[in-house]
Formats: sequence, structure tokens, C-alpha cells
Amino acid sequence: MPEAPARPLRILLAKLGMDTHTVGITVVAHALRQAGMEVIFSGLKQTPEAVASAAIQEDVDVVGVSSLSAGHTRNLPRLARLLRERGAGDKLLLAGGVIPPEDVPLLQEAGFARIFTMGTDTREIIAYLERWWAGKLTAESTPA
Amino acid sequence: MDVAAELLAGKVAAGARAIRWLDDRDPRGREVLRRIFGATGRAHIVGVTGPPGAGKSTLVDTLIAEERRRGRKVAVLAVDPSSPFTGGALLGDRLRMSRHALDEGVFIRSMATRGQSGGLSRATYDASLVMDAMGYELVIVETVGVGQDEIDVVRLAHSTLIVAVPGLGDEVQAMKAGLMEAGEIFIINKADREGFEQTRRHLELLLHLRAAQPATGTWQPPLLTAVATRGEGTAAIVDALDAHRAHLQKSGEFARQSSARCEAQFLALAHAAALEQLLARAPAELLAQVRARRIDPYTAAERLSDAAGNMSPAAGA
Repeated sequence: MPEAPARPLRILLAKLGMDTHTVGITVVAHALRQAGMEVIFSGLKQTPEAVASAAIQEDVDVVGVSSLSAGHTRNLPRLARLLRERGAGDKLLLAGGVIPPEDVPLLQEAGFARIFTMGTDTREIIAYLERWWAGKLTAESTPA
Repeated sequence: MDVAAELLAGKVAAGARAIRWLDDRDPRGREVLRRIFGATGRAHIVGVTGPPGAGKSTLVDTLIAEERRRGRKVAVLAVDPSSPFTGGALLGDRLRMSRHALDEGVFIRSMATRGQSGGLSRATYDASLVMDAMGYELVIVETVGVGQDEIDVVRLAHSTLIVAVPGLGDEVQAMKAGLMEAGEIFIINKADREGFEQTRRHLELLLHLRAAQPATGTWQPPLLTAVATRGEGTAAIVDALDAHRAHLQKSGEFARQSSARCEAQFLALAHAAALEQLLARAPAELLAQVRARRIDPYTAAERLSDAAGNMSPAAGA
């Protein structure tokens, strides 16, 4: 190989639910881009099925879902299950938005590694992702 | 998972992984290409290019819909720029194509330019081979919004659509642009906008001038109009694409273009490999001298090539 591999983190950001509030996800998208990540934005009012398809077609490392209207206790676990069923269970799942603290255990149980609620500083999200990514790259380069 | 075998069977997850490897320059990507290469060369590669804001993604969305109506499987490579400062990218083209998210005959992949100029990313050609081998009959390559001569897509695609819009003004820019010499199908999108007539007259003139040049071949590029947000004009564009493909096949140009792309890729790879070898065997102090400006780059390059000339196979052993 003439050139060394270069592997930026790829993340899909999607919005589930019927609301059209895009400020939060837009701010996060720009912050992640500034941090050197490739951010794929798949659209508003997405169904879990559509997000799962996009995550697989884009072969992202991380799927970040914003949910600002109710339905997350149904939609988010459904997305996690669809990804597992379709052989894409290796992707890190994150959620954000309006999610009551009492729902967090259910979402973690379903496979979401971290829930960022309203008001989270984007630096916290970036730091979390960078730590996770460094750990993943180290794990993959170390022979099992 | 056996990525090569599964993508040849049309599995999206495998194709997506292969493209990731190629994009990341992971050595496994080349191994996959070796195994699938024999299954490539069938797809019609269609480029879509034009200035930022011309509505390329929305147009691609309507093209997907029309091609699906005609029963074809469609893959899309949508290229957006990487930040030259952070390397990050915001890839939003699939937003406009989200109605096809659940259609199993459609595979959409976003790619960042990753430092490549010319409107494409370095791995776009390789990714198109993967999609071709997966059995997509049409591979649409949407470039970043281009200005004047970022027209690498013309070398990649069999047929290139140039998308213009009314009211972008500065017609001298278009005159300068290599774009006008490049495409096979011209489209004025957002044709319901003010300034349409002026843009149409201008493009007609440019196409007329182009037709007068001897080197342009026998294909007469049509000038079509569209309002992609309403799906207007899409059927005529797909008709024109079909006509162009038939034209290429009849003249033998379809296969010849595939060969030319293959050759160009070989030369690019050979170029990179040869350069690496050459630099590896270069006198260590040469680069240091160039960096310190003790020797000019022209003389240094000459010395390097002289040194290469002295490296006969026997001497190198």
C-alpha cells in the first residue's frame, strides 16, 4: 500500500418522531464536523426502519438519534433491534433530546450506550466519542 | 463475513463495508477489488454535476424515482466536501433522497472528498466498481458543487448531466468553465424561476459553439428543463440518458470508456507506487537539502530521476 490507512469516525445523525425542531441536531452536527468527524445527516421524521437502512448503507461507526417528541421508548429500542437483526449490532448507539430520566434505564437496556439530555455541552459529546473511538481503534489493532 | 462473496450476491451491508475499506485505504479493500473486478463493467455510470445550489440532490432523487419506475436498481454516490482544516465533513445529500430509504433496489452512499480536489473523492471510482459488481444497473455519482474545472466526474461517468439554474448570473463564469465542454446532457433546473429565458438562450449559444468544434464527437448534447422539486422534466432526462447509453453502446464507446478508466486507474496506482519506491531509494540528504532550500526543487527532481536511471535491476538486487 502506497499510503497509510486513514480512518475518520463516521456518524449518522437522525431524527425520529414527528417534530421538526432541528436546532439541537444541527448544532451537534457542526460541532462533530469541527472535531474532524464525518457526519451524515439523514433527515427529519425518520422511522426506525429508515434509520437502520441508512446506518447500514453508510457503514457508520455511530448512530446518534435525536428524539424530541414522545415515542422514544418504542422507537429507540426498535431501531436497536433492527440493527442487530440486520447484522449491524456493532454500531455505537447514542440518543439525545427530550428524554425523561426515568426512561434512561430502559434505553440503556435496549442497547443505547449513552443518553445526552437537553442542555448537554457539545464538548461533552465530542469527548465521549473520541474516548470511545480511541478505545475501539486500539482494540482492533491488538490481536485477540 | 466474506465481504467479496456477499457483495457479489448483492448484500448491501457487505458492499457498504467494502466501500468503507476503500475509502479508509484499508488493505482489505484492495483484496475485495481483486476478487470482484471481473464482475464490473456492466453498470451505466451517470455523473451529476453543477454549481452549489443547483438542486443536484433533489434532481438525483427524482431520477431514482423514475429509474425505479422503469425497473432498474439504482446506486448513488453523493460526494460532499471535507473541511480542509479539520478533515470533518457534513454529508447531507441523502436528506433529499430519504423517500427511497426503504426501497431495497436503491443504495445511497455519502462520501467526503477527504482532501481530493476535482469534485470527487479519491475512492469514488473504487466505490462505483463495488456498486457495479453488486448488480446496480445505474450508478449515479453526484459531485460536490463545482465551480469551473472540477470535472473529474466526466472521466468517471459514461454520461454526465450538467445542472444549471437561472439567476446564478455571471455568464462569463460559465464561459470559462470546462463544464460546458464536458457534459453530455444539459439541464436547467428550477426552470420556473426568473431569468430562465436568459439562461436558456445563453446555454443554447454555448452548445451551438461547442457543436462547431470538431473534437466533440457525434453526440449532440440536449438542453432539457426541469423543476426537480415537482418531478417535472425527469422522464425526459431519463429518456436522454437511455439514448446516450444506446449511442455509446452502438459506437463501441461504452466499452472503450471503461477501458480508459481502467487504464487511468492503473497509471495512477503505478504512479503512486513508483514514486514511493523512488523516494525510498533516494539519497537521504536530498530531501533535507530541498527542505532547507539549499537546492532548488527542479534540480533535486532531476537528480532523483538520474539516480533512478542508474538503478538497473541487477544493481538494485
